[in-house]
Amino acid sequence: MTQLILQSVVSGLLVGGMYGLVALGLALAFGVLKVLNVAHGELLMLGGYASFFAFTFWGIDPFLSMPVVFIAMFAFGAILYLTLFRYVTRTEIHTRIKNSLLISFGLVLVLQSMAVRFFTADERTISTAYSSDAFTIGLVRVPVVRLAGLAVAVIAALFLEWLLSSTRFGRALRATSEDWTRAALTGVDVKRVYLVAFAISAALAAVAGSLISIGYSVSPNIGLGWTLKALIVVVLAGLGSMRGIIVAGLFLGLMESLAAVWLGGQYREVAALVLFLVVLSFRPQGFFGRAHA
Amino acid sequence: MPRAAAIAAGLVVLALIIGIGFFSSSQHLLTLVIQTMLLAALASSWNILGGFAGQISLGHAAFFGSGALVTRELWLNGMPLPLAVLAAVAATTVAAAVVGVPMLRFREIYFAIGTLALGVAVFITAGNLWPGISSMSAEALRNYDFTGPYFVTLGVLVATVAISLWLKHSKVGLGMMAVRDDEEAAAATGVNAFAHKMTAFVLSSALAALAGAAFAYFSVSYFPNFAFSVIWTFEAILVVFIGGVGTIVGPLVGSVFFIIGRDSLPAEVNEFQVVLFGLLFMLVVLLMPGGLTEAGQRLFARISSRQPPDANTAKATKGKELV
Amino acid sequence: MLEVDGLEVAYGDLQVVWGVSFKVSESSIVAILGPNGAGKTTTLLALMGLLPVKAGSASFKNNSLIGVPTHQMVNLGLVMIPEERAAFSSLTVEENLELGAYTPRARPRQRETMAEVWETFPRLAERRSQKAGTLSGGERQMLAIGKALMARPELLILDEPSLGLAPIVVEKSFNIITEIRDRGVSVLMVEQHLEMALQVADHAYILEMGSMVTDGTSSELAADPRVREAYLSL
Repeated sequence: MTQLILQSVVSGLLVGGMYGLVALGLALAFGVLKVLNVAHGELLMLGGYASFFAFTFWGIDPFLSMPVVFIAMFAFGAILYLTLFRYVTRTEIHTRIKNSLLISFGLVLVLQSMAVRFFTADERTISTAYSSDAFTIGLVRVPVVRLAGLAVAVIAALFLEWLLSSTRFGRALRATSEDWTRAALTGVDVKRVYLVAFAISAALAAVAGSLISIGYSVSPNIGLGWTLKALIVVVLAGLGSMRGIIVAGLFLGLMESLAAVWLGGQYREVAALVLFLVVLSFRPQGFFGRAHA
Repeated sequence: MPRAAAIAAGLVVLALIIGIGFFSSSQHLLTLVIQTMLLAALASSWNILGGFAGQISLGHAAFFGSGALVTRELWLNGMPLPLAVLAAVAATTVAAAVVGVPMLRFREIYFAIGTLALGVAVFITAGNLWPGISSMSAEALRNYDFTGPYFVTLGVLVATVAISLWLKHSKVGLGMMAVRDDEEAAAATGVNAFAHKMTAFVLSSALAALAGAAFAYFSVSYFPNFAFSVIWTFEAILVVFIGGVGTIVGPLVGSVFFIIGRDSLPAEVNEFQVVLFGLLFMLVVLLMPGGLTEAGQRLFARISSRQPPDANTAKATKGKELV
Repeated sequence: MLEVDGLEVAYGDLQVVWGVSFKVSESSIVAILGPNGAGKTTTLLALMGLLPVKAGSASFKNNSLIGVPTHQMVNLGLVMIPEERAAFSSLTVEENLELGAYTPRARPRQRETMAEVWETFPRLAERRSQKAGTLSGGERQMLAIGKALMARPELLILDEPSLGLAPIVVEKSFNIITEIRDRGVSVLMVEQHLEMALQVADHAYILEMGSMVTDGTSSELAADPRVREAYLSL
């Protein structure tokens, strides 16, 4: 029994790291642009497929192709902003969220069905030489690739933190998140900030997708599930705050795993959702967020 | 479009539908019309909450599924259909009232995410608790007659549209729309925002359950959790916006457009149908929030060389408020 | 330096500003005065590109402003401090000032400008690592002005600088505004507090219900019996 619990804890933390990584991108887009992109999971899915095909056709190791996937999805994110989300940001904040929800919902339909068409509905996983390797620490088995995934998540979070707190552009990002009008009056090119923030958000999703394609699996319809997880993490951490996203992700992963042990695997997802609803009801600003007006 | 003409058109369509129900023997056509009416009813019910009251619910399927589940279980186990439907709607209404209290405290995006979470949670739980497929008995299958489901679905649709119509022109409905447009301002003028949102939520859920009941009666066999699938929510929302959110006719027009469109696309294009509808949806949200209804109104006005009635308001509200 | 002619601003169908014209010349303080809701803030926001301009023209140093993105205006030297101060509460005092020099024009002289700001506002220097949200009203006002100065403005626009501040702080702010003018920066200010404004301004315009009612030098206006009766009872 102890072994089961310990293993669950570890698995939960590992997948929680992924939740955190996916949530980072979503939080960035929402924090800066005040746009809720429910197609975030689809961008993740595309990143996963990109890695998968790079590996299948050209034999490129996913960890090596990751930077390229990042850049490619950065570009794609920029395009999505310019063709779609830019128009959503023209409205004031209040309607912006609603509109972005709807627009990105349309995007979900488009991207998902195109994925089914071009990639087929089969589940894909990358199997490299090391993908089934694992460390064994005491009673617990830690798959190498998932641990690497957690590492990437932490690195990404630290990088983002550095970007936001120590760079000029990061200050501009934070200022724009707080109040875009004031930021514009300070001389910040708000449109450019939006573009970059959104592109980074998409790129982060893609990197998560790459990790998921090797550590777990990808198929065309995984998008919404991950988006929902990311949303839960973002709310747990505090809507609009970047701090503590990884922590919130780990927490979610852990809670899910423990619920699975306790109630049975089928109720894993439900536990997450119930936890989410409970937090939302009693502490809507999340663990780390400021209380909203 | 002038009131009298609209009513006349509605009656003609109704007569047409009734006629098809009685005289057509094409299973394909009957199925298509039933599907359209079902979607139209579900979409109209969503429209009450999303279009009139402005609360975007992404968990609508939970109530549709609930109505379907209860109806199906009771009816297949011997209860007469009308009682089963009544029980289903009653049960769902109570559930909606219970769920609505905490849910509606959330504003805007939290409400959308919260209802999404709820919808998914219910879907998964339903799949866990009722994993087996639900089928009509072999005998019922042999004697399957479209007429029953057809007219029941029609009845559901008519009831939903009638309630929507009444609501739109009632004081309650006006309050809902005030809340939709600006909740704070509405509250400041004495409108009980929570009560109105709650009414919309419960009503919308009850009608969704009614549609679910029709679905249960119509479907030969399916996995019970299918009725809880988020696909139903998505299709309803898609169709409402394409047709024209907040209008009575919008969900109806949208459903017809969607089902007919989907059915008549040639096979090769068929795989892209969702893509097409998705793109159309995005275009509508961005460019023509009034959907097909607005497009139709403008066209009609231009043909009869009258000033488009809502041109100024459309321009003024464009980009500001979509719902 | 700044010339606005026939500016019209509307929110959809609702027109708020009807053909407003005014000028700000070098090294002067101009005030736009008027009661609440006269359209003063709307005029400024439209000027800065944050609201769509329905009609009219505006030029700064002979460059047309219509259709120019806000951040580019700042880069030209046209800096506005909005009504609810301009500081970002989640950033520290120092970060706010650093951000103030964001434009390519101001960036190279950031260190120099910052030193000037610390000198002008020693209280801010004391609080440099504090989050701006923790400052008092008066301190935030100073920070807002300091931040605006970081952009090396040639024309500084102030939207209701006296709003919500204690009289001592208001007086201090107005002294600083005069100092700024003396250093060669023009000032355009929008105010409800007529008396205070007229003491500092060289020239003033009075805006009522979206239209210019009268204008003149401050002494002219202060002496004008109509103005005295209508407004100076505020």
